[in-house]
Amino acid sequence: MSAAKPGAAAAPALDEAVQARYEAVIGLEVHAQLKTQSKIFCPCSTRFGAPPNTQVCPVCLGLPGVLPVLNKRAVEFAVMTGLAVGASIRERSVFARKNYFYPDLPKGYQISQYDRPLCEGGEVEILVEGKPRRIGLVRIHLEEDAGKSLHPEGKEGVTTTRVDLNRACVPLIEIVSQPDLRSGAEAVHYLTKLRQILVYLDVCDGNMEEGSLRCDANVSVRKRGDRELGTKTEIKNVNSFRFVEKAIQFEIHRQIGLVESGGRVSQETLLWDSARNVAEPMRSKEEAHDYRYFPEPDLLPLDLGRPWIESLRAALPELPDALRGRLVREHSIPEYDAEVLTETRALASYYEEVAARSDQPKLASNWIMTEVNAVRNKTGQPIEEFPIRADRLGAMIRMIAGGAISGKIAKQLFELMLADPAAPDELVRRHGLAPIEDGEALRALAREVVAANPGPAAEFRAGKEKTFAFLVGQAMKQSRGRAHPEKLQDALRSVLVEDR
Amino acid sequence: MPIDAGTVEKIAALARLELDPAERERLVRELQAILSYVEQLQAVDVTGIEPTSQVTEGDPPPLRADVAGPCDVRDEVLAQAPDRDGDYFRVPKVV
Amino acid sequence: MMRPPDSTRTGAGSRWTLSTASEIADAVREGKASAEEVTRAFLAHADRTSDRLGTWLHRMPEEALRAARAVDLKRTGGARLGALAGVPIAIKDNIAIRGIPTTCGSKILEGYRPPYDAHVIERLREADAIVVGKTNCDEFAMGSSTENSAYHPTRNPWDPSRVPGGSSGGSAAAVAAREAPLALGSDTGGSVRQPAAFCGVYGLKPTYGAVSRYGLVAFASSLDQIGPFARTARDTALAYNAIAGPDARDMTSRAEAKPVDLAALDRGVQGLTFGVPRELLEGDGLAPEIRSCFDATAEAFRAHGARLVDVSLPNAKYSIATYYLIAPAEASSNLARYDGVRFGLRAPAKDLREMYEKTRRQGFGREVRRRILLGTYALSAGYYDAYYLRAQKVRTLIRADFMKALGAADALLLPVTPTTAFGIGEKVEDPLAMYLNDIFSIPASLAGVPALSFPAGFGPTGLPIGLQLVGRPFAEETLLRAARAHEGWNDASKKAPPIATEAAA
Repeated sequence: MSAAKPGAAAAPALDEAVQARYEAVIGLEVHAQLKTQSKIFCPCSTRFGAPPNTQVCPVCLGLPGVLPVLNKRAVEFAVMTGLAVGASIRERSVFARKNYFYPDLPKGYQISQYDRPLCEGGEVEILVEGKPRRIGLVRIHLEEDAGKSLHPEGKEGVTTTRVDLNRACVPLIEIVSQPDLRSGAEAVHYLTKLRQILVYLDVCDGNMEEGSLRCDANVSVRKRGDRELGTKTEIKNVNSFRFVEKAIQFEIHRQIGLVESGGRVSQETLLWDSARNVAEPMRSKEEAHDYRYFPEPDLLPLDLGRPWIESLRAALPELPDALRGRLVREHSIPEYDAEVLTETRALASYYEEVAARSDQPKLASNWIMTEVNAVRNKTGQPIEEFPIRADRLGAMIRMIAGGAISGKIAKQLFELMLADPAAPDELVRRHGLAPIEDGEALRALAREVVAANPGPAAEFRAGKEKTFAFLVGQAMKQSRGRAHPEKLQDALRSVLVEDR
Repeated sequence: MPIDAGTVEKIAALARLELDPAERERLVRELQAILSYVEQLQAVDVTGIEPTSQVTEGDPPPLRADVAGPCDVRDEVLAQAPDRDGDYFRVPKVV
Repeated sequence: MMRPPDSTRTGAGSRWTLSTASEIADAVREGKASAEEVTRAFLAHADRTSDRLGTWLHRMPEEALRAARAVDLKRTGGARLGALAGVPIAIKDNIAIRGIPTTCGSKILEGYRPPYDAHVIERLREADAIVVGKTNCDEFAMGSSTENSAYHPTRNPWDPSRVPGGSSGGSAAAVAAREAPLALGSDTGGSVRQPAAFCGVYGLKPTYGAVSRYGLVAFASSLDQIGPFARTARDTALAYNAIAGPDARDMTSRAEAKPVDLAALDRGVQGLTFGVPRELLEGDGLAPEIRSCFDATAEAFRAHGARLVDVSLPNAKYSIATYYLIAPAEASSNLARYDGVRFGLRAPAKDLREMYEKTRRQGFGREVRRRILLGTYALSAGYYDAYYLRAQKVRTLIRADFMKALGAADALLLPVTPTTAFGIGEKVEDPLAMYLNDIFSIPASLAGVPALSFPAGFGPTGLPIGLQLVGRPFAEETLLRAARAHEGWNDASKKAPPIATEAAA
């Protein structure tokens, strides 16, 4: 386990035996921005990156006299998410005002949902060291986002904050998990899976750096075997998967150290400092918030008919687990392959087309997992932007399987296809990559090689079988890999014999 | 339920209203009088009664279609801002 | 059916200032008068009276004349003019008009100009009405006398030492003093009906949801409604028709709101049944002159063919307590946006917290601060169930009482105020005493049903007495029809306060 970093909040190094006596209990609250065109309560655009305060209107500015009007697609996306995780969808859910003061909260309250949220229950399955674990969900509800307060970090002498309200009123869903997670690593698995589901549904773009996916962690520890929960702290401001794991592990470590040395964990909110790798209590000790929730009088209770909910269920795309299972079943590829290929729906579709075109599911999987993904890792391209079309790649693999080109030539062809959108057979023709299979041509080649290598040829004739491989290699090199391997060998043998 | 100066302070803080001591005294009295009056509601039998948070009759309107519309009030609004920094609203730093 | 012109005219311009909105609209539509001359007449009259009355917070003479000329041009261009063609209308200062100061009677919004128009303003323009100014009101519509305006009080045109009522006192006074034939106010617990009664004019609180609240600065969201003031039942109907109907920007507005059929207004009260809620009449707060006016009115209804039945509203006695928990609670939340960040007043301060606290302390008046505290308390942890939630449950009971009573009658007949207009300064020191004045107006607000205040008589000192008709949801037509019939046999609405008929100097 990692020792405390220098300069961090002091925590004595804990040995493994001590750590093993404790169990960490972690729950995550994830906020996901929904990919709607317009905001949840007004028609302003939700596009990321616009100049400050250019995507605002009287409603999201909270000007006197305005009223919220609910975006249907935001509701659809929230229901789809609930259905995808097996939550139960309330036919009547209620919006509520969460009242507090902050400069980026224009109305002085956030419209959210309180005791009658849209979705309840549900679960997300993750793999922890290869074994499936079910992480329960408490609820999913709809709410509006706040704007952005830009604090002058590190700027000396600046005593003001700037406010940009473009983000105010963007639709969010808040997904609350049960405290079923047990480590920072598990939290990352959960977050990864949750994000994957949201991206599969196309309800969120899952971009943590841009803030479309945000995560707060609730962490507590207890002695292994204890039933009661320890006091939990909340860690905010973790904006990448890596930091989620680090922050949680830091906090677990800190809490164990505290309890071991006789101290008590106090319930507080911590901010993760990614520069110093520590979680520290928020500087302003605000009094405990009393949000004074009450039902939002400007919006009626949201009544969704069962038929509409069921129509959304019927229209759900295939989700990661189901898709993985189907690929394994239909194409007889290993679980591991299916896991990689279903990273996104687009990648899975790509694979399926390649597999269909080539009629070689395992070969297709290999090519995508190794060659295609190697390129994508370097360039960062999503599969949708990958230069080789699925049908082209499929055709290429078909050529390999059919012997039209060798595996080695295929690698050259692949490189060509990255730069040239032409069909593989066209490229083979143009670049002279067709295998040499003609007996005469091969014998001619063999004679050239034998003539160029009299020594090894003589050795072979003298009985040294091993030099045959060398001569084959030379012939392959000479043909730039195009010679058909078996036929070349036949040709070489017959040439060597005839010259005897 | 009696209300005291400490409670009034707490409520004023929640509502971000500054109070001076004289005012606090007066408010304790006034709020006390009003709360004593509304105490009569405790005597009403509301067993099984649902709260009304909306008195609208009739069918609710359809939800709004997800179409982005024009957003062009920035200049008119920022021109009236108590303080601005270019295209941002500006406030004293959050402590 | 047009009414004959009032025979008590005096003074230049009085031809128009004493005309009804219907008469003006007909004349302008037919080309018998220009919108401009009508507007000028009202502007000139208001020039003489408004300083004494304190009617306005912001007058709009240039905009009004420009709009009037545009209406005239529209007509000469051959287009059909709207139902309120050339009719000047005063707007309560809590309704947004783009580019025009909207203060809600508060310092915290001093100088604030909305960047958008309220739905009702768009509708009035469509009807070719002429907005002539923003009227004074109790701060953020909280009050029953307009004394809570942060700027100045408004005086009752019948007796300037008395209040015009509130919170829409300026609008009521404007119509009573003939500074405009129509006005809009807002009614949350009686703020249109009570000043209408104090000023001797009609005031309608529509069914909740009948008129879009988009652009009405919110006080209590589940109670607020915009409503018209006028001097005749027909004018009230015209104004209601011009503004009622659903609006996509207000999810609480309803398609069920339909225009009143003007022809149906003349059907009389024969065959209608009116319920009288006895419990409310028996309280000892009701002034004897109002009680006797009520009895006489009920008798007159009966004499003209209506049926009167007793109805019971057993939970109505809890209305004030219920209202004074729900309304302040919603208000405490609605007023949180006045924080000095984006618009309005900002007090100098060393940090954000101080900015909030000083701004709101300086910007809000006493009544507003009192209600914010009351409302915050009613919603706060530990008290929500006992206060806010309980009040919402009692509201359910009160509403059910109304629906039951309105099942037995076409409309209810009851007082609207316990007294006639009280003196300026008489009730400001005791907030609870002020709240208790709302006993007759609050119940209909809690129930969300339409209610009309109509002029019914005068007290011994000549102060107007108004009474109230309460109807089923979206039955504004029934109320206006009954009021129209009453107009036929009762002259109370035809009298004008002396200030209205003063000759030009």
